[in-house]
Amino acid sequence: MNKFLDLIDPLLILSAAVMGVALYLVFIWVPTETNQGAVQRILYFHVPLAWGSMLGIFIVSGSSFMYLLKNNEKWDRLAVASAEIGVIFGGLMLLSGMIWARPVWAVWWTGEAKLTTALILFFVYVAYLMFRGYFPPGAQRQRLAAIIGVIGAVDTPIIYFAANLWSQAHPPIVTGPAASAESTLGSDLGTVLLASTIAFTFLFIYLVQTRYKIRKSEDDIIELKRASSASAMRGVN
Amino acid sequence: MILTLAISVSLPQISSAEQTPPVNGIVVGVETDDAGVLTRFAVSDSTGTIHTFTIFNGTEYGLENQAGDRWVSTQESEPSESARRLRDHRERFAPITVTSENGTAFSVVEREQGRLETNLGYLFAVFAVTWALFFAYVLYLGRKQRVLQHEIYRLKSASHK
Repeated sequence: MNKFLDLIDPLLILSAAVMGVALYLVFIWVPTETNQGAVQRILYFHVPLAWGSMLGIFIVSGSSFMYLLKNNEKWDRLAVASAEIGVIFGGLMLLSGMIWARPVWAVWWTGEAKLTTALILFFVYVAYLMFRGYFPPGAQRQRLAAIIGVIGAVDTPIIYFAANLWSQAHPPIVTGPAASAESTLGSDLGTVLLASTIAFTFLFIYLVQTRYKIRKSEDDIIELKRASSASAMRGVN
Repeated sequence: MILTLAISVSLPQISSAEQTPPVNGIVVGVETDDAGVLTRFAVSDSTGTIHTFTIFNGTEYGLENQAGDRWVSTQESEPSESARRLRDHRERFAPITVTSENGTAFSVVEREQGRLETNLGYLFAVFAVTWALFFAYVLYLGRKQRVLQHEIYRLKSASHK
Protein backbone atom coordinates (compact mmCIF):
# COMPACT_ATOMS: atom_id res chain seq x y z
CA MET A 1 0.00 0.00 0.00
CA ASN A 2 2.85 2.35 0.91
CA LYS A 3 4.50 1.61 -2.42
CA PHE A 4 1.35 2.73 -4.18
CA LEU A 5 0.96 5.84 -2.01
CA ASP A 6 4.56 6.84 -2.78
CA LEU A 7 3.50 7.40 -6.39
CA ILE A 8 0.56 9.62 -5.54
CA ASP A 9 1.24 13.25 -6.27
CA PRO A 10 -1.25 16.15 -6.67
CA LEU A 11 -0.03 16.63 -10.23
CA LEU A 12 -0.59 12.95 -10.98
CA ILE A 13 -4.15 13.18 -9.60
CA LEU A 14 -4.80 16.28 -11.72
CA SER A 15 -3.25 14.59 -14.74
CA ALA A 16 -5.38 11.45 -14.23
CA ALA A 17 -8.57 13.51 -13.80
CA VAL A 18 -7.99 15.53 -17.00
CA MET A 19 -6.97 12.34 -18.82
CA GLY A 20 -10.24 10.71 -17.71
CA VAL A 21 -12.21 13.60 -19.21
CA ALA A 22 -10.10 13.46 -22.40
CA LEU A 23 -10.67 9.69 -22.77
CA TYR A 24 -14.41 10.17 -22.34
CA LEU A 25 -14.36 12.80 -25.08
CA VAL A 26 -12.17 10.67 -27.37
CA PHE A 27 -14.09 7.41 -27.10
CA ILE A 28 -17.68 8.43 -26.30
CA TRP A 29 -18.38 12.08 -27.00
CA VAL A 30 -16.76 12.88 -30.34
CA PRO A 31 -18.41 11.37 -33.46
CA THR A 32 -16.52 8.90 -35.64
CA GLU A 33 -14.85 10.56 -38.60
CA THR A 34 -16.52 9.38 -41.80
CA ASN A 35 -13.50 8.82 -44.06
CA GLN A 36 -11.02 7.08 -41.78
CA GLY A 37 -13.36 5.55 -39.22
CA ALA A 38 -12.22 4.55 -35.73
CA VAL A 39 -8.55 4.76 -36.62
CA GLN A 40 -8.85 8.56 -36.87
CA ARG A 41 -9.12 8.63 -33.04
CA ILE A 42 -5.41 7.81 -32.96
CA LEU A 43 -4.98 11.50 -33.86
CA TYR A 44 -6.07 12.40 -30.29
CA PHE A 45 -3.05 10.47 -28.97
CA HIS A 46 -0.61 11.09 -31.79
CA VAL A 47 -0.79 14.91 -31.84
CA PRO A 48 -0.42 15.37 -28.02
CA LEU A 49 2.47 12.88 -28.04
CA ALA A 50 4.12 14.88 -30.85
CA TRP A 51 3.51 18.07 -28.86
CA GLY A 52 5.10 16.44 -25.77
CA SER A 53 8.17 15.36 -27.72
CA MET A 54 8.62 18.90 -29.10
CA LEU A 55 8.02 20.47 -25.69
CA GLY A 56 10.65 18.09 -24.33
CA ILE A 57 13.35 19.17 -26.77
CA PHE A 58 12.52 22.84 -26.12
CA ILE A 59 13.02 22.28 -22.38
CA VAL A 60 16.21 20.28 -23.04
CA SER A 61 17.48 23.10 -25.24
CA GLY A 62 16.43 25.94 -22.91
CA SER A 63 17.77 24.33 -19.75
CA SER A 64 20.99 23.26 -21.54
CA PHE A 65 21.47 26.87 -22.58
CA MET A 66 20.86 28.01 -19.00
CA TYR A 67 23.34 25.41 -17.75
CA LEU A 68 26.01 26.72 -20.12
CA LEU A 69 25.22 30.25 -18.92
CA LYS A 70 24.88 29.71 -15.15
CA ASN A 71 26.74 26.42 -14.62
CA ASN A 72 24.03 25.40 -12.14
CA GLU A 73 23.32 21.66 -11.70
CA LYS A 74 19.55 22.15 -11.53
CA TRP A 75 19.44 23.11 -15.21
CA ASP A 76 21.38 20.00 -16.16
CA ARG A 77 18.98 17.86 -14.10
CA LEU A 78 16.00 19.46 -15.82
CA ALA A 79 17.58 18.85 -19.26
CA VAL A 80 18.22 15.16 -18.64
CA ALA A 81 14.77 14.66 -17.09
CA SER A 82 13.10 16.30 -20.10
CA ALA A 83 15.21 14.28 -22.52
CA GLU A 84 14.19 11.00 -20.92
CA ILE A 85 10.47 11.86 -20.98
CA GLY A 86 10.88 13.35 -24.47
CA VAL A 87 12.32 10.12 -25.85
CA ILE A 88 9.27 8.22 -24.53
CA PHE A 89 6.85 10.73 -26.04
CA GLY A 90 8.86 10.76 -29.29
CA GLY A 91 8.93 6.97 -29.50
CA LEU A 92 5.19 6.75 -28.90
CA MET A 93 4.58 9.52 -31.44
CA LEU A 94 6.42 7.51 -34.11
CA LEU A 95 4.71 4.26 -33.12
CA SER A 96 1.20 5.74 -33.07
CA GLY A 97 1.87 7.41 -36.44
CA MET A 98 3.02 4.11 -37.93
CA ILE A 99 -0.03 2.26 -36.62
CA TRP A 100 -2.30 4.98 -38.04
CA ALA A 101 -0.49 4.91 -41.40
CA ARG A 102 -0.95 1.14 -41.91
CA PRO A 103 -4.73 1.19 -42.57
CA VAL A 104 -4.86 4.72 -44.02
CA TRP A 105 -1.75 4.76 -46.24
CA ALA A 106 -1.31 0.97 -46.53
CA VAL A 107 2.32 1.27 -45.39
CA TRP A 108 3.93 1.42 -41.94
CA TRP A 109 6.46 4.05 -42.96
CA THR A 110 7.38 6.29 -45.86
CA GLY A 111 10.36 8.58 -46.24
CA GLU A 112 8.41 11.82 -46.48
CA ALA A 113 9.61 15.06 -44.84
CA LYS A 114 7.47 15.19 -41.69
CA LEU A 115 8.16 11.57 -40.77
CA THR A 116 11.87 11.84 -41.47
CA THR A 117 12.32 15.02 -39.41
CA ALA A 118 10.30 13.47 -36.55
CA LEU A 119 12.58 10.41 -36.68
CA ILE A 120 15.60 12.74 -36.55
CA LEU A 121 14.16 14.33 -33.38
CA PHE A 122 13.88 10.87 -31.82
CA PHE A 123 17.52 10.17 -32.76
CA VAL A 124 18.56 13.53 -31.26
CA TYR A 125 17.02 12.44 -27.94
CA VAL A 126 18.67 9.01 -28.17
CA ALA A 127 22.05 10.59 -29.05
CA TYR A 128 21.76 12.99 -26.11
CA LEU A 129 20.95 10.19 -23.64
CA MET A 130 23.55 7.81 -25.09
CA PHE A 131 26.20 10.50 -24.87
CA ARG A 132 25.35 11.07 -21.23
CA GLY A 133 25.33 7.34 -20.62
CA TYR A 134 28.73 6.57 -22.15
CA PHE A 135 30.79 9.72 -21.53
CA PRO A 136 32.63 9.78 -18.15
CA PRO A 137 30.73 11.82 -15.51
CA GLY A 138 31.84 15.35 -14.83
CA ALA A 139 31.49 18.96 -15.91
CA GLN A 140 32.83 18.26 -19.41
CA ARG A 141 30.10 15.65 -20.07
CA GLN A 142 27.44 18.08 -18.90
CA ARG A 143 28.78 20.90 -21.07
CA LEU A 144 29.02 18.75 -24.21
CA ALA A 145 25.57 17.25 -23.57
CA ALA A 146 24.21 20.78 -23.16
CA ILE A 147 25.64 21.71 -26.57
CA ILE A 148 23.92 18.67 -28.15
CA GLY A 149 20.70 19.70 -26.40
CA VAL A 150 20.85 23.25 -27.74
CA ILE A 151 21.60 22.10 -31.30
CA GLY A 152 18.86 19.43 -31.14
CA ALA A 153 16.08 22.03 -30.91
CA VAL A 154 16.83 23.21 -34.47
CA ASP A 155 14.85 20.23 -35.75
CA THR A 156 11.60 21.23 -34.00
CA PRO A 157 10.40 24.11 -36.24
CA ILE A 158 11.36 22.01 -39.30
CA ILE A 159 9.05 19.21 -38.07
CA TYR A 160 6.22 21.63 -37.41
CA PHE A 161 6.39 23.30 -40.81
CA ALA A 162 7.40 20.16 -42.79
CA ALA A 163 3.85 19.33 -43.92
CA ASN A 164 3.47 22.86 -45.32
CA LEU A 165 6.98 23.20 -46.75
CA TRP A 166 6.98 19.85 -48.55
CA SER A 167 3.37 18.94 -49.37
CA GLN A 168 3.40 15.16 -49.40
CA ALA A 169 1.39 12.44 -47.72
CA HIS A 170 1.25 13.68 -44.11
CA PRO A 171 -1.97 15.57 -43.27
CA PRO A 172 -1.45 19.36 -43.10
CA ILE A 173 -0.93 21.26 -39.84
CA VAL A 174 -4.20 21.28 -37.86
CA THR A 175 -3.17 23.34 -34.83
CA GLY A 176 -1.00 26.34 -34.05
CA PRO A 177 -0.11 29.50 -35.96
CA ALA A 178 0.70 27.76 -39.27
CA ALA A 179 -2.63 25.88 -39.53
CA SER A 180 -4.51 27.01 -42.61
CA ALA A 181 -8.26 27.65 -42.62
CA GLU A 182 -8.93 24.48 -44.68
CA SER A 183 -6.84 22.25 -42.49
CA THR A 184 -8.16 23.48 -39.12
CA LEU A 185 -10.23 20.85 -37.33
CA GLY A 186 -13.96 21.16 -36.81
CA SER A 187 -15.08 22.45 -33.40
CA ASP A 188 -15.85 18.99 -31.88
CA LEU A 189 -12.61 17.46 -33.06
CA GLY A 190 -10.67 20.56 -32.02
CA THR A 191 -12.17 20.48 -28.50
CA VAL A 192 -11.21 16.84 -28.02
CA LEU A 193 -7.73 17.43 -29.37
CA LEU A 194 -7.27 20.37 -26.99
CA ALA A 195 -8.49 18.35 -23.97
CA SER A 196 -6.22 15.46 -24.88
CA THR A 197 -3.24 17.80 -25.36
CA ILE A 198 -3.84 19.40 -21.93
CA ALA A 199 -4.06 15.93 -20.33
CA PHE A 200 -0.82 14.75 -21.93
CA THR A 201 0.87 18.04 -20.99
CA PHE A 202 0.02 17.46 -17.31
CA LEU A 203 1.32 13.91 -17.61
CA PHE A 204 4.50 15.22 -19.22
CA ILE A 205 5.04 17.76 -16.40
CA TYR A 206 4.39 15.10 -13.74
CA LEU A 207 6.88 12.70 -15.31
CA VAL A 208 9.56 15.39 -15.74
CA GLN A 209 9.06 16.48 -12.13
CA THR A 210 9.38 12.89 -10.85
CA ARG A 211 12.45 12.22 -13.01
CA TYR A 212 13.98 15.49 -11.81
CA LYS A 213 13.54 14.43 -8.18
CA ILE A 214 15.21 11.10 -8.93
CA ARG A 215 18.12 12.85 -10.59
CA LYS A 216 18.42 15.12 -7.52
CA SER A 217 18.44 12.05 -5.24
CA GLU A 218 21.18 10.46 -7.38
CA ASP A 219 23.28 13.63 -7.07
CA ASP A 220 22.64 13.71 -3.30
CA ILE A 221 23.88 10.11 -2.99
CA ILE A 222 27.07 10.92 -4.90
CA GLU A 223 27.61 13.93 -2.61
CA LEU A 224 26.95 11.87 0.55
CA LYS A 225 29.33 9.13 -0.59
CA ARG A 226 31.99 11.74 -1.36
CA ALA A 227 31.53 13.33 2.08
CA SER A 228 31.56 9.90 3.72
CA SER A 229 34.82 8.84 2.03
CA ALA A 230 36.40 12.25 2.81
CA SER A 231 35.59 11.87 6.51
CA ALA A 232 36.88 8.28 6.42
CA MET A 233 40.16 9.56 4.93
CA ARG A 234 40.44 12.17 7.68
CA GLY A 235 39.88 9.38 10.25
CA VAL A 236 42.75 7.33 8.75
CA ASN A 237 45.11 10.33 8.75
CA MET B 1 -40.46 -15.78 -78.84
CA ILE B 2 -37.12 -14.44 -80.09
CA LEU B 3 -37.23 -11.72 -77.42
CA THR B 4 -37.90 -14.27 -74.65
CA LEU B 5 -35.03 -16.42 -75.89
CA ALA B 6 -32.71 -13.42 -75.99
CA ILE B 7 -33.59 -12.49 -72.38
CA SER B 8 -33.21 -16.05 -71.14
CA VAL B 9 -29.76 -16.29 -72.74
CA SER B 10 -28.50 -12.88 -71.61
CA LEU B 11 -29.83 -12.90 -67.98
CA PRO B 12 -27.70 -15.80 -66.74
CA GLN B 13 -24.63 -14.07 -68.18
CA ILE B 14 -25.34 -10.91 -66.17
CA SER B 15 -26.21 -12.73 -62.96
CA SER B 16 -23.14 -14.95 -63.21
CA ALA B 17 -20.89 -11.88 -63.24
CA GLU B 18 -19.32 -11.57 -59.78
CA GLN B 19 -20.79 -8.53 -58.04
CA THR B 20 -17.96 -7.19 -55.91
CA PRO B 21 -18.52 -4.55 -53.22
CA PRO B 22 -16.56 -1.32 -53.79
CA VAL B 23 -12.96 -1.44 -52.62
CA ASN B 24 -11.60 1.51 -50.65
CA GLY B 25 -7.86 1.84 -50.33
CA ILE B 26 -4.53 3.17 -51.44
CA VAL B 27 -2.98 2.68 -54.88
CA VAL B 28 0.07 0.47 -54.43
CA GLY B 29 0.85 -0.47 -58.03
CA VAL B 30 0.31 0.95 -61.53
CA GLU B 31 1.15 -1.04 -64.67
CA THR B 32 1.32 0.47 -68.15
CA ASP B 33 2.13 -0.80 -71.62
CA ASP B 34 4.98 0.48 -73.82
CA ALA B 35 2.89 3.47 -74.90
CA GLY B 36 2.30 4.51 -71.27
CA VAL B 37 -1.35 3.42 -71.34
CA LEU B 38 -2.73 2.02 -68.09
CA THR B 39 -3.27 -1.75 -68.17
CA ARG B 40 -3.62 -2.76 -64.52
CA PHE B 41 -3.43 -1.25 -61.05
CA ALA B 42 -3.42 -2.55 -57.49
CA VAL B 43 -5.13 -1.19 -54.39
CA SER B 44 -4.44 -2.09 -50.75
CA ASP B 45 -7.52 -1.84 -48.51
CA SER B 46 -7.65 -1.03 -44.77
CA THR B 47 -7.00 -4.67 -43.85
CA GLY B 48 -3.86 -4.78 -46.00
CA THR B 49 -5.43 -7.00 -48.69
CA ILE B 50 -4.18 -6.23 -52.21
CA HIS B 51 -6.82 -6.03 -54.95
CA THR B 52 -5.67 -6.02 -58.58
CA PHE B 53 -7.87 -4.48 -61.26
CA THR B 54 -7.73 -4.53 -65.03
CA ILE B 55 -9.31 -1.71 -66.98
CA PHE B 56 -11.28 -1.42 -70.19
CA ASN B 57 -12.22 1.45 -72.49
CA GLY B 58 -15.35 2.22 -70.48
CA THR B 59 -13.58 2.59 -67.12
CA GLU B 60 -14.67 5.90 -65.61
CA TYR B 61 -12.49 8.17 -63.52
CA GLY B 62 -13.24 10.93 -61.03
CA LEU B 63 -9.94 11.73 -59.37
CA GLU B 64 -8.75 14.89 -57.67
CA ASN B 65 -5.29 16.38 -57.71
CA GLN B 66 -3.61 17.81 -54.61
CA ALA B 67 -5.31 21.19 -55.14
CA GLY B 68 -8.72 19.47 -55.13
CA ASP B 69 -9.45 19.90 -58.87
CA ARG B 70 -11.43 16.92 -60.08
CA TRP B 71 -10.52 15.17 -63.33
CA VAL B 72 -13.49 13.33 -64.81
CA SER B 73 -12.92 11.17 -67.86
CA THR B 74 -12.94 7.64 -69.27
CA GLN B 75 -10.13 5.31 -70.26
CA GLU B 76 -11.08 5.64 -73.92
CA SER B 77 -11.02 9.47 -73.91
CA GLU B 78 -7.64 9.91 -72.20
CA PRO B 79 -5.80 6.57 -72.19
CA SER B 80 -2.49 7.74 -70.73
CA GLU B 81 -3.77 10.36 -68.27
CA SER B 82 -5.29 7.71 -65.97
CA ALA B 83 -1.89 6.14 -65.28
CA ARG B 84 -0.44 9.53 -64.39
CA ARG B 85 -3.38 10.30 -62.07
CA LEU B 86 -3.16 6.96 -60.29
CA ARG B 87 0.61 7.33 -59.83
CA ASP B 88 -0.03 10.78 -58.31
CA HIS B 89 -2.52 9.16 -55.90
CA ARG B 90 0.01 6.48 -55.04
CA GLU B 91 2.67 9.08 -54.21
CA ARG B 92 0.26 11.11 -52.06
CA PHE B 93 -1.31 8.04 -50.39
CA ALA B 94 -4.66 9.51 -51.45
CA PRO B 95 -7.38 6.88 -50.99
CA ILE B 96 -9.69 5.84 -53.84
CA THR B 97 -12.86 3.80 -54.26
CA VAL B 98 -13.02 1.23 -57.05
CA THR B 99 -16.19 -0.45 -58.24
CA SER B 100 -15.55 -3.58 -60.24
CA GLU B 101 -16.85 -6.85 -61.58
CA ASN B 102 -14.68 -9.92 -61.98
CA GLY B 103 -11.57 -7.83 -61.37
CA THR B 104 -12.38 -5.27 -64.09
CA ALA B 105 -12.65 -1.71 -62.79
CA PHE B 106 -15.80 0.14 -63.80
CA SER B 107 -15.18 3.34 -61.86
CA VAL B 108 -12.19 4.75 -60.05
CA VAL B 109 -13.01 7.74 -57.88
CA GLU B 110 -11.83 9.59 -54.78
CA ARG B 111 -12.61 7.55 -51.70
CA GLU B 112 -16.29 7.75 -50.89
CA GLN B 113 -16.54 5.87 -47.61
CA GLY B 114 -14.08 4.14 -45.32
CA ARG B 115 -14.67 0.70 -43.85
CA LEU B 116 -15.38 1.86 -40.32
CA GLU B 117 -15.59 -1.57 -38.75
CA THR B 118 -12.24 -2.94 -39.82
CA ASN B 119 -9.70 -0.70 -38.17
CA LEU B 120 -10.62 -0.76 -34.46
CA GLY B 121 -7.69 -3.09 -33.83
CA TYR B 122 -5.23 -0.36 -34.80
CA LEU B 123 -6.84 2.09 -32.35
CA PHE B 124 -6.69 -0.53 -29.61
CA ALA B 125 -3.01 -1.21 -30.37
CA VAL B 126 -2.08 2.47 -29.98
CA PHE B 127 -4.16 2.81 -26.81
CA ALA B 128 -2.76 -0.36 -25.21
CA VAL B 129 0.90 0.32 -26.06
CA THR B 130 0.72 3.98 -24.93
CA TRP B 131 -0.82 3.23 -21.54
CA ALA B 132 1.17 0.08 -20.87
CA LEU B 133 4.38 2.03 -21.44
CA PHE B 134 3.32 4.99 -19.30
CA PHE B 135 2.16 2.77 -16.41
CA ALA B 136 5.34 0.73 -16.57
CA TYR B 137 7.45 3.87 -16.59
CA VAL B 138 5.60 5.47 -13.64
CA LEU B 139 6.03 2.25 -11.64
CA TYR B 140 9.72 2.13 -12.59
CA LEU B 141 10.19 5.74 -11.44
CA GLY B 142 8.39 5.07 -8.15
CA ARG B 143 10.50 2.00 -7.48
CA LYS B 144 13.73 3.81 -8.31
CA GLN B 145 12.77 6.74 -6.08
CA ARG B 146 12.16 4.40 -3.12
CA VAL B 147 15.53 2.67 -3.60
CA LEU B 148 17.32 6.03 -3.77
CA GLN B 149 15.52 7.38 -0.69
CA HIS B 150 16.50 4.24 1.21
CA GLU B 151 20.11 4.69 0.11
CA ILE B 152 20.13 8.36 1.20
CA TYR B 153 18.68 7.35 4.58
CA ARG B 154 21.34 4.65 4.98
CA LEU B 155 24.21 7.00 4.07
CA LYS B 156 22.94 9.74 6.37
CA SER B 157 22.56 7.25 9.23
CA ALA B 158 26.09 5.93 8.63
CA SER B 159 27.56 9.45 8.61
CA HIS B 160 25.87 10.30 11.93
CA LYS B 161 27.37 7.24 13.68
